[in-house]
Amino acid sequence: MTATVSSTAPAAVATPVADVPARRVPLAHRVPRTLSRVAWYLLCGMLALSMLLPLVWMVSIALKSNGDVNQIPPEFFPNEFQLSNFVDGPAQIHFYRLLANTMIVTVVSAFGAVASSMIVGYGISRIDFPGRNLWFALIAGSLFVPGVVGLIPLQHLYINLGLIDTWVPLILPAFFGSPIFIFLARQYYQSIPRYLDESALIDGAGHWTIFTRIMIPITKPVWITVAIMSFQLAWNDFLNPLVYLQSQEKFTLPLGMASFLSDTAGSQYNYYMATNVLFMLPPLVLFFLAQRYFMEGIGSLGTISK
Amino acid sequence: MTMMSADAVAEPLARAAAPGGARLPARRSAKRRRDTILGYLFISPAIIGLFLFVVYPMVTSLYHSFTDWNGLTPATWVGLDNYVEMFTKDPTFWPSVAVTFLWVAISVPVTIVAGLSLAVLVNRALHGVKVFRTIFYLPVVLPAIAVLTLWKYIYDPTYGLANEVLRFLHLPTSGWLGDAHVALPAILIVGVWSVGGTMIIFLAGLQAVPHELLEAAKVDGAGAIRSFVKITLPMIGPILLLQLVLQLNGAFQTFNQVAILTKGGPGTSTNLLMYKIYNDGFANFIAAPQLGYATAEVWVLFVIVMVVTLLMLRLTRGRFSAGGEA
Repeated sequence: MTATVSSTAPAAVATPVADVPARRVPLAHRVPRTLSRVAWYLLCGMLALSMLLPLVWMVSIALKSNGDVNQIPPEFFPNEFQLSNFVDGPAQIHFYRLLANTMIVTVVSAFGAVASSMIVGYGISRIDFPGRNLWFALIAGSLFVPGVVGLIPLQHLYINLGLIDTWVPLILPAFFGSPIFIFLARQYYQSIPRYLDESALIDGAGHWTIFTRIMIPITKPVWITVAIMSFQLAWNDFLNPLVYLQSQEKFTLPLGMASFLSDTAGSQYNYYMATNVLFMLPPLVLFFLAQRYFMEGIGSLGTISK
Repeated sequence: MTMMSADAVAEPLARAAAPGGARLPARRSAKRRRDTILGYLFISPAIIGLFLFVVYPMVTSLYHSFTDWNGLTPATWVGLDNYVEMFTKDPTFWPSVAVTFLWVAISVPVTIVAGLSLAVLVNRALHGVKVFRTIFYLPVVLPAIAVLTLWKYIYDPTYGLANEVLRFLHLPTSGWLGDAHVALPAILIVGVWSVGGTMIIFLAGLQAVPHELLEAAKVDGAGAIRSFVKITLPMIGPILLLQLVLQLNGAFQTFNQVAILTKGGPGTSTNLLMYKIYNDGFANFIAAPQLGYATAEVWVLFVIVMVVTLLMLRLTRGRFSAGGEA
């Protein structure tokens, strides 16, 4: 099964299904179709509005003045804009130091995740060797082992190695390939025609050359997807920093934001939400920059059945 | 170090797997040997990771679950004491198990149905569909802690958006996270709000369903619902199964939501097992470190997840052709 090459090219997966041309459709068919479209837009519009409402509300609070934010009953929109929240808020938790910490942890983790999953995925799907199916089954199977099993033993291991209260425990696992990313990479590799590497092999190229020269460029959507997803995972990680970090100057943003909330206890929510907006921005910007590749990379999961 | 361990694994395996290797022409067997070594080199990070982050913790934590251990002094063997205490003495254990199962039983179906419905909704080639996809996916892009702290304030009875909306609709307001009956559903609402991750994977599956099949069904007079049940669902079966297993796994290990939104309360109404484990093993670390006990709880949770996952795979066997299992 592993040797079969999927007939669907990865790029085709994400392409939306072409709509049937509207010409020559009888009126009796056209009216219900228009109605169904209107209903569709209404439904999507309402859903989108309710999904965006909490975010709009957050931005509104981030802009409120100290008086507005504690007004009873609360008003949805601010009476006056207090842009200084975006300066005073971050100052409460040394935001920019935490931002730098989080950036370092996140970027290094994302790099590790991309490198390890692409290399392992290549080995599993493009090199023919005995045992590879077994190892793939074991790696994919470890997806189902709850992460919590590792928490206490690994914490103890890191204590013994003197690595507690450093960023190593947060970064290290990414370099050993997470099962879900390896799975994603393998799915994508499977959809690439075999003749590409076979002709390169005949020309005398080794696997490493094929990997770096041929595969890395073609698999751009999938490694960008892995990069985004691992960036998000590391950026959002709360439990691991909570368990592994102790000194405040090493905290990552999720820890800082959680402590912000318990320290200032409600009165300064305009500061908090302003900081929250800044905290959300980096993954958001990254997502929009790489959205096209992301949708394509995720699309390779659609070929899971092949 | 990486190279050595990969070689050490590769050598005997290669020989064992190809007993007829000697009869092959010399060049081919040399290539095969080289491929085997290279193959293991390529996958060596994952093999090391498997042993370091999965096998090692599993083995040591199983041992520690039979010990009295505070993490500082050496562990002492106590046999089944931890498990006996958990099952018969700990007053918060069974309520925690019950609320965990309740949470899984509600949140997994709701998330799957919501994600799939949303995916079907945006699997159309209409103008603006990409905008809607992006909006529905947006909450997933945002950091979980940012989202959860935002929702904590949304649920604030006095200042929060939730009651503001209820007042606007002239509905009675709620205590939300402070109300033992509402707290768990309130956590679920946050999950549904960020269902875009599930949606996007289902969407990938839906887009891989050949359009000709659906067209043919239409020509044969099958309605939208019939062709969805008869064609689309079986086609996305493996993705559905993967989602189901991942969602189950995630739901049993729900932590962030509880830690940020409710801290297990009010009472024990949201004291999910994962949060209880954290409290027993880490949060009370300075006061009364009970790592041995917490590890035993981890193993109970682990066994529960494994049994439920295997049951799920067994029940769905044959119904989905799970291609991912190799």
